[in-house]
Amino acid sequence: MKFNSLRYILRETFHSIRRNPWLSVASVLTIMVSLVILGFSIFFMVNADNMATTFESELEIAVFTDKSVTPQQLGTLKLDIERMPQVSSVTIVSKEQALVEFGKTMKSSGNNLLDDLGGINPFPDRLTVKAADPQVVKDIAMRIQGFSGVENVVYGKDFIDKLLPFTRWLRWVGIGVIVAFAIASIVLISINIKMNIFSRRREIQIMKLVGATNGFIRWPFFIEGMFLGLVGGLLASATVGVTYDWLSGYVQNTLAFLPVVQNPMLFWQVLSGLLVSGMAIGAIGTAISLRQFLKI
Amino acid sequence: MIQLSNVSKIYPNGARALSDINLKIGKGEFVFLVGPSGAGKSTLIRLLYREEKPTRGQVLVNNRNLVRMREHEVPYLRRGIGVIFQDFKLLPNKTVEENTAFALEVLGMSTREVQTRSRAALELVGLGGKGKSFPHQLSGGEQQRACVARAIINSPGLLVADEPTGNLDPENAWGIMDLLYNINKRGTTVIMATHAKDIVDQMQKRVVAIEGGRLVRDEEKGAYGYEV
Repeated sequence: MKFNSLRYILRETFHSIRRNPWLSVASVLTIMVSLVILGFSIFFMVNADNMATTFESELEIAVFTDKSVTPQQLGTLKLDIERMPQVSSVTIVSKEQALVEFGKTMKSSGNNLLDDLGGINPFPDRLTVKAADPQVVKDIAMRIQGFSGVENVVYGKDFIDKLLPFTRWLRWVGIGVIVAFAIASIVLISINIKMNIFSRRREIQIMKLVGATNGFIRWPFFIEGMFLGLVGGLLASATVGVTYDWLSGYVQNTLAFLPVVQNPMLFWQVLSGLLVSGMAIGAIGTAISLRQFLKI
Repeated sequence: MIQLSNVSKIYPNGARALSDINLKIGKGEFVFLVGPSGAGKSTLIRLLYREEKPTRGQVLVNNRNLVRMREHEVPYLRRGIGVIFQDFKLLPNKTVEENTAFALEVLGMSTREVQTRSRAALELVGLGGKGKSFPHQLSGGEQQRACVARAIINSPGLLVADEPTGNLDPENAWGIMDLLYNINKRGTTVIMATHAKDIVDQMQKRVVAIEGGRLVRDEEKGAYGYEV
């Protein structure tokens, strides 16, 4: 492209913004609001997923052994379980540890049951097994039940049966929310761009009639769309960033049991993603909307 | 310069605008296109710079076949044709000078050259001092002259005008005709659709009459030929 044309295009872009300031403000606000909603829904989704993962990772299987099992046999049992696929970790909780833990719990509730036992340890050795995937907990528990030296296997059967559908639901809702808002923001932004271009269709028609090529007509609109998208994206990521930062701090301080994602890397990725999508939506939306007006 | 062979135009809604038109216009001619409203004059004009394509027949302009012309060649065709519109088609948010300069900026000319040429064009149409005004600050006649300035700034070989005096009082109308007459004398072919009987009768140029989409009369030094 000739240098003169480039200069013309840049000048034309900013002339147009200056002469239609309200249209430009409306475009920026539309892009901003859409992206803010999108940004929040992404963080909602991330947190929903994180919450589901946290709940799931707390699932464990308690394997109680026979009283007759020697420490050596216990070690072998541990290795056998570890060798099973889908098992992520196995820890031994010896009867002594179990007793100490039990004592702690009792003391904190002011109970002297431990002293009443008078030195007898009623606990068996125990293994705590964690599965790599919550879906297979049931399966693993059943298979461990068949191992020799195992007296009883306990896992939160009812809890798993309720939790898994719930976390699945939570993830789908999160994805649904993102998809819905992404579509809504693209529609909103393209309607706005179309209005912007429609208000200048005469200008485009005249440009065509004096012999401007489509590329020449497209560029100023394109750069304008990109610029307004960038400004909208910038405002959106600032809004989302500041609000999320504040909100996540607040939730963590007041509702500590709710796991809130505070991952700086992810945080900046989402914010720069909003920025880039603002710019991309502005540019692509303009290019698509322009097509029908260029057919003269 | 221009040749229409067996040209028919039927719009997508079924309206028949032109039927079997054969017309040849040589370089440097001045041609009036007359006929009742809705006869097809505007359609014929629009065929020349390919705002419309004929349904049947061939249109040649500068030995280029507009029917077979590809989409990306159209801008280059239009750069050689000045178009004057009845409704001026000036951009309301650009000054008069920017409006005229527009036709040159499209070509990627330097700012200095664009400025020199658009000032010269405005001077020529008698708008020398109005370059910085916006269209709505001008009278109808001045706006039409700005439109003429834009059409001729590129020194086109062909100038087409669709009722350029339709919205003007007689004095301004004659001002525009003076301009077109002078441009024609410098070698530019001028084709003008009009309802202005007195202008056609007085100018003594070639007159082509269209009625109901058919060419019904073509005479050198003709007259308007309709009662007003």
